[in-house]
Amino acid sequence: MAQHQTYFDMFGLKPAFEIDRAALTKRYRELQREFHPDKYAAKSAREQLLAMQYAARINEAHTTLRDPVRRAGYLLELAGVEVSPEQTTADAEFLMQQMMLRERLEEVRDQVDPAAALDELGDEVRGLFATEQRQFARVFAEGELNAGKDSLLKLQFLGKLQRQVEELEEDLLD
Amino acid sequence: MALLQISEPGQTPEPHQRKRAVGIDLGTTNSLVATVRSGSAEAIAAADGSVILPSAVHYAAVGVTVGAAARIRAGGDPYNTLLSIKRLMGRGLADVQSFGEQLPYKFVDTDGGMPAIDTAAGAVNPVQVSAEILKVLARRGAEALGGELDGAVITVPAYFDDAQRQATKDAAKLAGLKVLRLLNEPTAAAVAYGLDREDADGVERTVAVYDLGGGTFDISILRLSRGVFEVLSTGGDSALGGDDFDRAIATWIAAEAGLGTDLDVATQRALLDRACTAKEALAQVEHVALEYGDWRGQLDRAGMAALLDPLIDKTLRACKRALRDADLGADEVNEVVLVGGSTRTLRVRERAEAFFGRAPHADIDPDQVVAIGAALQADVLVGNKSRDDLLLLDVIPLSLGIETMGGLTEKLIARNTTIPVAKAQEFTTFKDGQTAMSIHVVQGERELVTDCRSLARFELRGIPPMVAGAAHIRVTLQVDADGLLSVSAMEKSSGVSADITVKPSYGLEDVDITRMLQDSYAHAEEDVAARALREAQVEAERVLESLLVALRENGAELLEGRELDQLERAMEALRLAHNGGDADEIRRRIEALNELSEPFAARRMDASIKRAMQGHSLDEFDQ
Repeated sequence: MAQHQTYFDMFGLKPAFEIDRAALTKRYRELQREFHPDKYAAKSAREQLLAMQYAARINEAHTTLRDPVRRAGYLLELAGVEVSPEQTTADAEFLMQQMMLRERLEEVRDQVDPAAALDELGDEVRGLFATEQRQFARVFAEGELNAGKDSLLKLQFLGKLQRQVEELEEDLLD
Repeated sequence: MALLQISEPGQTPEPHQRKRAVGIDLGTTNSLVATVRSGSAEAIAAADGSVILPSAVHYAAVGVTVGAAARIRAGGDPYNTLLSIKRLMGRGLADVQSFGEQLPYKFVDTDGGMPAIDTAAGAVNPVQVSAEILKVLARRGAEALGGELDGAVITVPAYFDDAQRQATKDAAKLAGLKVLRLLNEPTAAAVAYGLDREDADGVERTVAVYDLGGGTFDISILRLSRGVFEVLSTGGDSALGGDDFDRAIATWIAAEAGLGTDLDVATQRALLDRACTAKEALAQVEHVALEYGDWRGQLDRAGMAALLDPLIDKTLRACKRALRDADLGADEVNEVVLVGGSTRTLRVRERAEAFFGRAPHADIDPDQVVAIGAALQADVLVGNKSRDDLLLLDVIPLSLGIETMGGLTEKLIARNTTIPVAKAQEFTTFKDGQTAMSIHVVQGERELVTDCRSLARFELRGIPPMVAGAAHIRVTLQVDADGLLSVSAMEKSSGVSADITVKPSYGLEDVDITRMLQDSYAHAEEDVAARALREAQVEAERVLESLLVALRENGAELLEGRELDQLERAMEALRLAHNGGDADEIRRRIEALNELSEPFAARRMDASIKRAMQGHSLDEFDQ
């Protein structure tokens, strides 16, 4: 059942890193309106099952395309580049920077003004994350798949770090 | 030929009889049933005119009593009068014992699974108790609508986990109800207010549903856009409600009257009654006179506000947390909906209004609003009303994961993921020739398995013997639109599907439910065979009707003449079996017809997908 369709096909989007988020959301709702199991509540058991599987696929596609790291990984996967979870970047300078950012995150609570220190760190991490996303978009558009793979590995680092910053922001609010 | 009539999509091809559908609010303290009649949703009253059915069940050696008649026996016969049973749904004995003080029942352990309660009528489990409440409501609905119900939407708290949802669905099955959907209570309340229809401009809006009942508080933040409801976050306090208001006022009376703090049960009861009466009166008048023994006093609205504010503060703190989880500020909430009898207290309304900075919706009876929303959704799902614009998207409230080495949880599906959802994970064998594997599914946010809720243990058998690490077993967790989990597994290299035995950690297995159904028929002295026949006939009618509608829509276009002939013959065979009296024969014919129509169902789905895609690409070209 339409398994050959890529997530980009489903959403009528070009397979590129930069996507139109408003179009993605609009299309997501159109598709759910058509295939949500509630629309099949009075249909046969077989059709209900198919609707559930298709709605699950729509949700999975939406989640993948909405998230920049997962979107980048999916684009590489479509291009035949495999990235295993154990792989990591070989860029020593980048790794050193990551270590220092992580140390700063751990020390936020000990600062005189933890909220201000976290704000500053958060802005920096968000900036690095955004820059790396532009980097991925550029190299992927130019067909440099190896550079794309290295960029994805960095995106994974930065995405995780940003999540940790957000978690600490929540903790500090309590 | 009748089969080739053409009808517009969305239109019923023949004037069908209206289906009988209800919405049920199965509450901790009170339950009720509502339905849509002549275009508007309303709660259905019992013969005595009462709409609310207290969620109380009394078990005598012979006979079960449900509702107000059961509740009044709580004082005299506490062990056999079961209240607040909703708190026990899908819970283990350890959870239950933590409620020990509030629930003075005699629990019976059942192999670490769902606990049972010892009563004069023998051991009963929470699913059976809930089924008794549902049976009364179903009967009420059937009598009001003039026949057996075609389906029901039952509401559950947004934070209910898989085990709690499954237990609710099992209770419905036991009560003989076809569940169209388990609907989240806050979503139902928002639907009751028609908030889904007021956004023609397509601007996203945020709705806060503030639900303060007798013993629980829930806050839910929903997002609404063009008829799509999404639950953004939920929070609350499972031990905070109007009963605490009564206690606060009673404590004040005791202090004013100089009664001291060491009061006997009868005095406490008398004070609580006075407190509750005063609380309700102050919703209408400015002040009330109070007396106890020789003491005479007065309580006004400001005085009560001072007593209740610390408790209301707690609810507002939970609101703050829920807003933060949704990444929103209070000023970003566009609509506030009040649910639950305790929101009748004026001070609660004032504080909620001040907190969110806008007047809340409170026109619909706060005790009935959830059931009314459920009835509206039931009417759509059963097919009485076509509402193409309404779509309720729910999220899974807690992450689903699998136990890995060292008792750690590996999350497969994160919380707040939109359902339905399916996730697959590969596992491998760690011993040569290993043919079985045990998998433990848990729900929760913590890293350690022991800190999460155990949902089920799956035993995979029939893995072909291979060297360690050679077998690739793909396990798929699937959560449907009701939030219920199912699991399938397959060994990839051989294509062998592994047999899965599901043992719900705090639930019931299918065989348990079948046995309980039989037991309940025996008690009701109902003819089991007659019931089975009727159920098979209803199922046959449903299958025939849905297939007929499908064939009329696009049978001619999607099926070859030979396939159409075969289907028609199988349908005719089912019709004949339906008119005969053999339930097993009907089931066999249904099975045969389902199998035969499978390719047609798949083609119909493909055609829908194609249509959906075409509509879109045309739009793209236009731009």
